[in-house]
Amino acid sequence: MSEFLGNAQGALAALYETLQASALLPVFTDPAQLSPGQAVLVAVSVLFVGTVLRNLWGGQRTNKVKLRAEFTPAINHPLIFFLGKVYYHAPPPVKAIPCLTPFGMKLETYLRMADIPYEPMYDWSIGPKGKIPWIEYNGEAMGDSGLIIEFLNREKGVDLNQSLSDADKAVSRAFTKMGEENTYWGGARYRWIDNFDTVHEVLEVSWIVKILGLLRPVRSTIRENMWAHGIGRHSRDEIEGIVEKDIKAVSTFLGAKPYLMGDEPTEADAAAFGQLSEVCFAFPGSYMERLVTVDCPNLQAYVNRMKNRYWPDWDELTSKTVPIS
Amino acid sequence: MAAATSGKVYFHVTPPVKAIPCLTPFGMKLETYLRITGIPYEPIYGRSMGPKGKIPWIEYNGEAMGDSGLILEFLNREKGVDLNKSLSDADKAVSRAFTKMVEENTYWGLTQYRWIDNFDKLQELFEIPWIAMLFMRRIRSNTKQKLMAHGIGRHSKDDLEGIIEKDLKAISTFLGAKPYLMGDEPTEVDAAVFGQLSEIVWTAPDSYLHRIVTVDCPNLLAYCNRIKDRYWPDWDQLTGNTNTNQ
Repeated sequence: MSEFLGNAQGALAALYETLQASALLPVFTDPAQLSPGQAVLVAVSVLFVGTVLRNLWGGQRTNKVKLRAEFTPAINHPLIFFLGKVYYHAPPPVKAIPCLTPFGMKLETYLRMADIPYEPMYDWSIGPKGKIPWIEYNGEAMGDSGLIIEFLNREKGVDLNQSLSDADKAVSRAFTKMGEENTYWGGARYRWIDNFDTVHEVLEVSWIVKILGLLRPVRSTIRENMWAHGIGRHSRDEIEGIVEKDIKAVSTFLGAKPYLMGDEPTEADAAAFGQLSEVCFAFPGSYMERLVTVDCPNLQAYVNRMKNRYWPDWDELTSKTVPIS
Repeated sequence: MAAATSGKVYFHVTPPVKAIPCLTPFGMKLETYLRITGIPYEPIYGRSMGPKGKIPWIEYNGEAMGDSGLILEFLNREKGVDLNKSLSDADKAVSRAFTKMVEENTYWGLTQYRWIDNFDKLQELFEIPWIAMLFMRRIRSNTKQKLMAHGIGRHSKDDLEGIIEKDLKAISTFLGAKPYLMGDEPTEVDAAVFGQLSEIVWTAPDSYLHRIVTVDCPNLLAYCNRIKDRYWPDWDQLTGNTNTNQ
């Protein structure tokens, strides 16, 4: 970097000499001498340089980056809430699946596995971290399925992982993170970018929404998010390759076991089922669906096993849907 | 590249600093992989971004390639290398899961610390003049957007630190008393995990991350030193020749 500094010094020296030679130096030393034309020129130059510097400085772009403190949940408060009751906010079921977000499928599956009673508040309200699903508990709004699960474990004295060794708990966390921080984006890309035409069908939005292109901003946001995350920089083939390896890893690790970590379901199964259920039921015709159903049939069997055990009301929930208009 | 030798790996990354041979965990990962496999390479120290707008990147037979993971897969095929060959299929799957956790989750904890919480120390760490900090401020605001876009930036400081702590403790628990993550010999996941942990150990000395990796989980510090001693015998030489030491 020393040559950088040398260049900067050289540039400043050259600038000074140019100013001296062009008789512009007095502009800076004695502004009262300026003619109106010179004054305008100086003002414009200062404005220009100031703007460039301000952009370089990278000032707080508060209109682009919402800080945490600015989030206020659009709370759909029940008029009376019961203490100790979990009010679970997620988008309403559609024909394809009880919940369109894998994190909703995960959280609700966990609630069912842990036998924690909850009241579903089906709506499109956004939680305190700007995401869904979210819960209300004792009047407080909470976001992030992972943090909610940790909270409810403590609050309700639940531990789905109690039979696991410490090393297995670590493996369990690793698979959860892989599915949620990597594989998840393959699904987002498929649903919102590559297959955008069918998203209206899956979400059951009316033709008006489709014609007016009201979901296009969501698509742009997902694209931006994927770019910022990093995975969006890959080509479509590369992303599909990455997702394929993730899914095959889960299938290999599951093997012939009924659940990921053994004979009984644990927390990792809620997370894995969350992601895989979307693939099986809400991405029809996708390469991901082919991977889970054809290439790795043990995954399809696993998804059905979880569905039959924890979602006996699946058909009832998905047949009573109300299209968004 | 003028007169590039065919079959040679030209490894593009930012130059070493006093703290560490490479400031990006993915650079530490890729270079450690090259050293573990014995694939000869020529480091080209610079600040140019790769074809995907990220670093590190390589040039191979005149073609530029980005993303440490994809580069590893490519070089495995091209050079007939497989660090994971002794692993069972299930262990390979576990190995991938840990790699993804540390690169897609834990990594952001380090990013939050380095670029947001501890930004004041960045100039010293990066060994750049004050004028370059103007550009760093822009990168910082960009990084905030990335953290939000990823999702993890939406958490409060305590929530985020809790998440990262659990990741690190999971790695420590899984490593246990083993010399390397998957057993007695290093495999691909060790390059990835060492990539992230080395940054914590050597470039974030006052952080909660450092405390977790050195005090709470001493097996992680021992693991980092093990890989450093074995695959980076020239560490002091590389980090001793940086700008601030000239």
